[in-house]
Amino acid sequence: MKHNLQDIGESERSRSAGSGLAISDQIINHSRSMISIINKDYVYEKVNATFCREHQIVSEAVEGKSLADVWGGDTFRDHIKSKVDLCLAGETVSYEASFNTPRQGTRFYEVVFRPLAAGNEGITHLIAETFDVHDLRVSQQQAEEMKEQLRQFETNLPIGFIRCKPDGKILHANSAFKRIVSCPDDIQLVNMNLKSFYPVEVLYDIQIEQLFELRTKTFGRVFLKNWGGDEIPCRISGFLAMDELSRPSFIDFAIEDSSRELMLENRLLQAQKLETIGALAGGIAHDFNNILTTISGYSEMLQEDLPGESPESEKVSRIQGAVKKAQSIIKQILTFSRHVEQEKIRVKVSEVLVETIGFISSSVPGNISVENSIKEADAEVLADPTQLFRVFLNMMTNAVQSMEKTGGTLSVNMEVVDGKSVKSELNRDIVADEYILIAFKDTGKGMEPSIIERIFEPFFTTREVGKGIGLGLSVIHGIIAELEGEILVSSKREKGTTFYIYLPVSKEYEETVREDKKRKKILFITGNKHESRILSIALEKSSYDLRYTTDKNDLLRLLTEIDNRPDLIIYMSESRQVQPADMISVFSQLMIEIPCILISESNPDMIEENLLNSGIIKQQLIKPVSLKEIRSTIKELLG
Amino acid sequence: MAGILIVEDDKELREMIAVALMRRKFTVIEAANGKEAIMHFKPSITDLVVTDLIMPEEDGLKVIMKLRELKPSIRVIAISGGGKAGPGSYLNLAKALGADAIYSKPFSLNDLIDRIENMLNTGKPG
Repeated sequence: MKHNLQDIGESERSRSAGSGLAISDQIINHSRSMISIINKDYVYEKVNATFCREHQIVSEAVEGKSLADVWGGDTFRDHIKSKVDLCLAGETVSYEASFNTPRQGTRFYEVVFRPLAAGNEGITHLIAETFDVHDLRVSQQQAEEMKEQLRQFETNLPIGFIRCKPDGKILHANSAFKRIVSCPDDIQLVNMNLKSFYPVEVLYDIQIEQLFELRTKTFGRVFLKNWGGDEIPCRISGFLAMDELSRPSFIDFAIEDSSRELMLENRLLQAQKLETIGALAGGIAHDFNNILTTISGYSEMLQEDLPGESPESEKVSRIQGAVKKAQSIIKQILTFSRHVEQEKIRVKVSEVLVETIGFISSSVPGNISVENSIKEADAEVLADPTQLFRVFLNMMTNAVQSMEKTGGTLSVNMEVVDGKSVKSELNRDIVADEYILIAFKDTGKGMEPSIIERIFEPFFTTREVGKGIGLGLSVIHGIIAELEGEILVSSKREKGTTFYIYLPVSKEYEETVREDKKRKKILFITGNKHESRILSIALEKSSYDLRYTTDKNDLLRLLTEIDNRPDLIIYMSESRQVQPADMISVFSQLMIEIPCILISESNPDMIEENLLNSGIIKQQLIKPVSLKEIRSTIKELLG
Repeated sequence: MAGILIVEDDKELREMIAVALMRRKFTVIEAANGKEAIMHFKPSITDLVVTDLIMPEEDGLKVIMKLRELKPSIRVIAISGGGKAGPGSYLNLAKALGADAIYSKPFSLNDLIDRIENMLNTGKPG
């Protein structure tokens, strides 16, 4: 053994003493670390017993050999030499490496190089000590992995988790909680107070009081304020942890967002409520129909008994007018309560939607823009197109009204969605593989939750007394329910309202109507082509030849030419170009007898009365006219 | 003059129709429900029946079937108001069972009477 251990390090040297040499030797030899002495020529001068045991060699196999010989030139150059040089320059170098030993395989080791100075020569050697840190590292790694798993678990869990001091100071919050309260990612919740998420702070204090008493408790429905200030229904479970002296230490809260649960619950309640009101209203309407029929019957008899132009006859007309108004309300109630059967045909929803947008666009004020996006325009449903028109018109009119003062955008979107997603979204049984989803979104003033809850109830209105009787949305609800669809609303104050309508896509095979050479000609006299387009969509599948005119001269021409003369005329009262007086003059001028249907608003005015009394009109229908009504009226008149 | 049976459980309405038909010189028999209608039915003097569809004690559909059995040539007009079982489907069913015409309440009395006169004059379903 050439190396003089007397020179080991500064501190070692201070101990000196000749007998210490053997002891040092022994310590080195019996150390559980691998120890070697390397000289400045990178040659092993000594290795201890542990080194030999771990590498399963005898010391002579290494002693006198260079590091490059022992570890290979590349490894020496790339991984060892620089560290050895640093140590020879006087620094203690430590690093971690994993390497293979014949006895134990690949393990983690910590290697420390310490410089050794000999007398005046400065640093001539270094002592390399290699500790096995494998078990430590492995357990550290396992701990890290476990920590990461926990972190992931906590992040992915849909349940919010909060640990806080009893006074509410947050110690830890997981990402699910941040999601629930819509907290931006870059905001740290630690050190904030949980109380600030309660609408009233005292609510938190009450919960804490109960936790102090019971240690653990679940609060079924608590409303928390989210980042935007909206209230989110939550289910909160708390657990109070004590320290070793049984003093309250911290509280763990598990917080679940129960918005969906609450929404579904509310929706079910709404549906049940509407069902009950519907049954009640339907029953009343039934009795009222009998009463109205009696009243109108007697007044018709009375009318017959009275001289035509008498004041008494005028009063009876007033009674009949009131009966008609009552009839139209009854009709709406019956639609809401689904007691009116709709006649259904296959309709391309997009066609009706486009006509409705066209219809309303002309009357939309300049500060409101109407946008639309229609995907899968060929999708069809089984419905009465006139009823669909009514639904869409109602949706758009409401949206426009809500933005009248402020201006804004009405967006109408139509797409086809998978039935399965509808099932999970609506939590109801589905009747089709696909549904058409139409969304009417406005940027108007929005609605309070208390109003949203009731908007589909009949006679519920937010308008001033006397303006509308509040049947609109209840009727819409009835129509959609009859089509086995669904109507939903979501609204935010000052942000706007969106109505969603789901309609089951129909794929049933339908017989196409045979082309009939002698098709009866029907002429529409109309003011708005969009509205009569809806009626024509409705009648398209019947075998009629449909024509339109908005113009008096055109009407005259069509009626004069024998080949073009219609078999039936449908006169829509709103047509401005052809006034009721024009109708009377044209008919008397040409002396023709063509059955004519008048479609008018609920209260015919005096001019219309004249037309009605002139005998030209064979049937009067009051808007909204259903497909069933128009079809059976046409059939009756054409035979 | 032709004889008409009116089957309607609403007394006011039934009487109104009866009054109107008597003004036109029809012979009118009234029944408040289906059971009464079948009991009081006189095939020899009844040419047409106006029946409500939803009534207590034997509904209108049964009345139509029974009367057709008793007098195959009888003309039938079915009327129905909204409510309860859904008038649309009932009326369609009535038509399928052989009603010559169907009316939804509320209907115009003059329309009904015109139709009745038409049916009885021409012998056609109207």
